[in-house]
Amino acid sequence: MSRFSELLLAGCLIAAAAGASADSSFPGVGRPATPSEVKAWDIDVRPDFKGLPPGKGSVDQGIELWEAKCTACHGSFGESNEVFTPLVGGTTKEDIETGRVGAYIRQDAPQRSTLMKVPTLSTLWDYINRAMPWNAPKSLSPDEVYAVLAYLLHLGEIVPADFTLSDKNIAEVQKRMPNRNGMTTKHGMWDIKGKPDVKNVACMKNCKTQITMGSSLPDYARDAHGNLADQNRVIGAVRGQQTSEGAGGGAAAPAPHPAMDLMKKSGCSGCHGIASKILGPSFRDIAKRYKDDKGAESQLIGRVKAGGSGTWGDAAMPPQAHVSDADTAALIKWILSGSPEN
Amino acid sequence: MAGPMRIRAASNGTETEVKILMSHDMETGQRKDASGALVPAHHITELTATHNGRVVLAAQFGPAVSKNPYLQFKFAGGAKGDKVSVSWVDNKGDKRTDEVVVA
Repeated sequence: MSRFSELLLAGCLIAAAAGASADSSFPGVGRPATPSEVKAWDIDVRPDFKGLPPGKGSVDQGIELWEAKCTACHGSFGESNEVFTPLVGGTTKEDIETGRVGAYIRQDAPQRSTLMKVPTLSTLWDYINRAMPWNAPKSLSPDEVYAVLAYLLHLGEIVPADFTLSDKNIAEVQKRMPNRNGMTTKHGMWDIKGKPDVKNVACMKNCKTQITMGSSLPDYARDAHGNLADQNRVIGAVRGQQTSEGAGGGAAAPAPHPAMDLMKKSGCSGCHGIASKILGPSFRDIAKRYKDDKGAESQLIGRVKAGGSGTWGDAAMPPQAHVSDADTAALIKWILSGSPEN
Repeated sequence: MAGPMRIRAASNGTETEVKILMSHDMETGQRKDASGALVPAHHITELTATHNGRVVLAAQFGPAVSKNPYLQFKFAGGAKGDKVSVSWVDNKGDKRTDEVVVA
């Protein structure tokens, strides 16, 4: 027996000792996922409702949950346009009968709502279950997802006010989805033989050899939107042009303020911009409001820790317990000093 | 055409917040259809909200208000179980009233 096969044999014995179920085709590389690991990961719900956990939830239960967790972004009736496009609207009783959203055929909808677009109910269940609420995804129990979805369907007048949605009747409700017949798979995004989105054919004769500039911005308008070089992202090949004299100038940018990193790491930038309102107010707006308020620092530290709402509109700020006391204090100090970027 | 309003009223003990989503075309009377003819104006002109029969909000709506308007307001007082009723009248004389119990 050669030295090599002896080693191989020893390897097999070790693998066998480590676990009888181990896949021997890649010895020493990882291990098979345990059934409970697979279960935690495998949460998708398919259009035929395979993977849907049993449970039920009523419209009334959904209202309570909706007011507590969904209203801040989606509005009480799923109508809000403030943060995301509306969830509800644009569908009619006729659409529920035919399964095609008439507004698409007539092309008279100013905006597309979720219920106008989505053909499969499983997608809504799955998405709410895995991604909602925004600040605490996967925190809803299956029954809660059923309840929230029942309320959403009620807002779209797909189910009545006294409806209870469950794994038993969800397939019946699927037959009332307004856009259930509106989905096509006969295109290149789905089928390789389908018609592609774009089609490019190499030029074979009489091809242009030179690029001609079709239009350009006149000089006086070049800085209409500030210095484009400062605004474009710095990755990739394309850079914005220097459109205002003296600004930026090509000198190396000064190092960013240490609080900038801390701010991004702590997740603040998900909802707050430095100078622009996103979900929450901008840092500079906060600094402006509390400019002359001596107690602002400690007050704001408390607000960040415990969360709050109402001061800057309806969107609620969730409690930020994961940020350490020292970091919170440093961030508030930076914000109140006007959030210098470097 | 004009479906029921969706109304939500919630009291925090001292004041009640009312949210209303109306369902109405709110035609301005300025829009033209495909053949170039004016689409006649059809919009809500008056809106009244009452709390247990007492008027808490009276508003005049015009063509500048959007389709399916959303309205939110607060009034002092109101307790759980009270009734909030909202009615509108449009320029064609159509009326609609919907009522909700304060939560």
